[in-house]
Amino acid sequence: MTENTAETADESSDGGVTATTGAATTTPTTPPEPVIRARDLDVFYGSERALESVDIDIPEQQVTAIIGPSGCGKSTFLRCINRMNDRIDAARIDGDLTLRGTNVYDAAVDPVALRRRVGMVFQEPNPFPKSIYDNVAYGLEIQDVEGDHDEIVEQSLRRAALWDEVSHQLDSSGVALSGGQQQRLCIARAIAPDPEVLLMDEPASALDPVATSQVEDLIEELAEEYTVVIVTHNMQQAARISDKTAVFLTGGKLVEFGDTDQIFENPEHQRVEEYITGKFG
Amino acid sequence: MAADTSDVTAGFGQVSRTAGRVFRALLLAATLFGIVFVTILLLYVANDAIQPLTADPGWHLTFFLTLVVPTAGVGAFVYRRSQAAFQTGMLALGFVAVALLFSGGAAMLFIDIVRPLTWLAVVVALAVPAAIAVGVTAYDQRLPFLARFGVTTAAFYLSLFGLPGPLGTVASWLSQLGLPIPLGATLGSVRLVPSVVDVVSGVPVAPAPWLMLVATVGGPIGVVAGHAVARDRGRRARVAASSAFLAVVAVAGVVGPAVGVTPVPAVVVAAVGVVPPAAYAADVAVNAPRERVGLAVPATVIVGSLVGAGIVSVVGLAGPQSWVDWAFLTSAHSTNAESAGFYPSIGGSILLMLSVAVLAFPVGVGAAIYLEEYAPDNWLTRVIDVNISNLAGVPSVVYGLLGFGLFVTHLNRPAGTVLIGGATLGLLILPIIIISAREAIRSVPEAQRAASDGMGATKWQTVRNVVLPRSFSGILTGTILALGRAIGETAPLIMIGAPTIKFSLPTQVSETVTAMPLQVYAWSSLYATPDFYTKVVPAGVVVLVTVLLAMNSVAIVLRNKYQSHD
Repeated sequence: MTENTAETADESSDGGVTATTGAATTTPTTPPEPVIRARDLDVFYGSERALESVDIDIPEQQVTAIIGPSGCGKSTFLRCINRMNDRIDAARIDGDLTLRGTNVYDAAVDPVALRRRVGMVFQEPNPFPKSIYDNVAYGLEIQDVEGDHDEIVEQSLRRAALWDEVSHQLDSSGVALSGGQQQRLCIARAIAPDPEVLLMDEPASALDPVATSQVEDLIEELAEEYTVVIVTHNMQQAARISDKTAVFLTGGKLVEFGDTDQIFENPEHQRVEEYITGKFG
Repeated sequence: MAADTSDVTAGFGQVSRTAGRVFRALLLAATLFGIVFVTILLLYVANDAIQPLTADPGWHLTFFLTLVVPTAGVGAFVYRRSQAAFQTGMLALGFVAVALLFSGGAAMLFIDIVRPLTWLAVVVALAVPAAIAVGVTAYDQRLPFLARFGVTTAAFYLSLFGLPGPLGTVASWLSQLGLPIPLGATLGSVRLVPSVVDVVSGVPVAPAPWLMLVATVGGPIGVVAGHAVARDRGRRARVAASSAFLAVVAVAGVVGPAVGVTPVPAVVVAAVGVVPPAAYAADVAVNAPRERVGLAVPATVIVGSLVGAGIVSVVGLAGPQSWVDWAFLTSAHSTNAESAGFYPSIGGSILLMLSVAVLAFPVGVGAAIYLEEYAPDNWLTRVIDVNISNLAGVPSVVYGLLGFGLFVTHLNRPAGTVLIGGATLGLLILPIIIISAREAIRSVPEAQRAASDGMGATKWQTVRNVVLPRSFSGILTGTILALGRAIGETAPLIMIGAPTIKFSLPTQVSETVTAMPLQVYAWSSLYATPDFYTKVVPAGVVVLVTVLLAMNSVAIVLRNKYQSHD
């Protein structure tokens, strides 16, 4: 696993996915217990099926990218992991989704407790109209996190690569920052209470290219400590930053899941290859 | 050449817009229809009430030269330099006017309704348990919620009512009804533990009333104003600014008697009418250097008015024989039109508005939060939805009937009191508060709720930390506009038996009260001599409309501030 990660990182720093290596096609040894495991997961919105029998094992401390055309259910899958779909009355979920062996849809699991272990960053930056400090400390306050909040806020802003830009203006409003800064602020807010998994729903799609590359660098660094699951529209982005890639195609089916290099260079399915090479979607 | 041009434009001739122009003119007419007629009526009324043409032409000329010309000149200069500065200046001017109006109401409250000692006692009785509540929350997070809630509630109850307090009264009622409650009969009359209110208002030696008001009214307003002005300049500057504002209030109490104003109203007017606009002006001057020039507009108006008044009194030019004068505002009704006044009605309306706000605001906002954030989407909720909109359309006289039937007939309360009037008008505007508060809550972006929920916030945490702070100014705006509706209501007050004429202000919520529209109604029906309905009624209407506009202007400023933050 580690060799693979290193290679992917090397390749992305070269800026290319076209270089083929032999290692890419070899299957890694059986991974340790995955953090997130889905078995036969179905999601319905009313009578409409959004996900169809998804089976996936998301490994620890890696970046797993979820790609696919619009309406293929990739965001729906992401929102299953922290049960954000519960907020939609019409959504119905069948099948198993486990986080470290516990079925998150078990009646005994409190979705609020689940979301405290699984952080989330949204497509549009959505900081609160509060000060920068209060934004980052929000999770610490509501979760009653022990410890020195000032220090945790500084640590989180440093990890989100925002500290140098905002350290002198922690009292000013988070909404006054630029779009890219706002998104990094949201990432700092999400990692401050130290979640186990970080979900990102197209975190760079509303940003300009410079801000996008800053956020991408940040995601790669975060993977050293967190398990990151990222939905993206942008295949180059998935190729650059992820270790594993899952391709969802129309109808909410997970068509292919594997190492990023393999998916982008030598996909097993014809339709995945067509999607990746831009023939549709 | 000409022929060439017509060839070129041959396919681009005029398309007829006649129908569109007619339509546009009709729309304009529809827009202006109501505004024009109401404006003309109000001009007539104002003319009857104030009678500007009875003034000496020299009086008009003096104010034209000292007030109108300089204001127009300075205003035009500022407007051309910076529109933002001009807006700031106009806002400051409006702030001065509205703050002075409100300070008049507040002064009335402390002169005739609440004794300063009683007020001090209530403030202390609220401050003590509030401090306990803050302490319990800050220093003992480990206490379970119910324990903290119990301690806080007990502290408030003891401090405000003592033991046994209202619970004892209820117990004695119940024992009269035959319920077996131990000591039930005696609980209503004995007092085991006196409340903080009793202790403080019973002290044998109290400071002068105006000193108590300096502390309880000037103190908080000074602190808020000082923090607003020096917010970015460190703790010492904030303390200095707060002390300076407090000093202004205290000085007013000393200087007031020298210029013929008793200390109590002088302190209240300084605290409510002078310090807030002064703080706004200082805030602009210190924190917004580019808009500083706008302050020239209110300065010109104030200086111009004072200079004009000085010249007029020195030269001896007679002003208009206005029916809206000091005597009208400060005396009670009289059968003689010349000496009829509006004072008890103004005070009554203020008291009614306060009780309506206290009763209807929590209930209305609570209902709105429930319906927007908690209620499941089912047929029952939809039925309630539709019926709240229907309730807003129920005629006010029906609410009066409800108030009479519920409070007077069934609960056996005396008719026409402040409490009954406030409760009835509160019921009347409850649906309006609910509807506008729901609108404000709904305008909080869904992404904000998702962000909070995604952080692992419970529903309550999301509502308290995200939804309410963001919708609060919208809720407040809607409530003020609803209060504006209540202040003009006559029919419900007639139905609950409020007297149309009173000669003094109530000092307790269980005394009868009258209101401005009721008094106007009495003048135009019961005392229908020409002087009453051509002079006194217009004067009353001018005061009523002025108060209404002052309230609505606060709502409009709040709404603009709130919209510019999104």
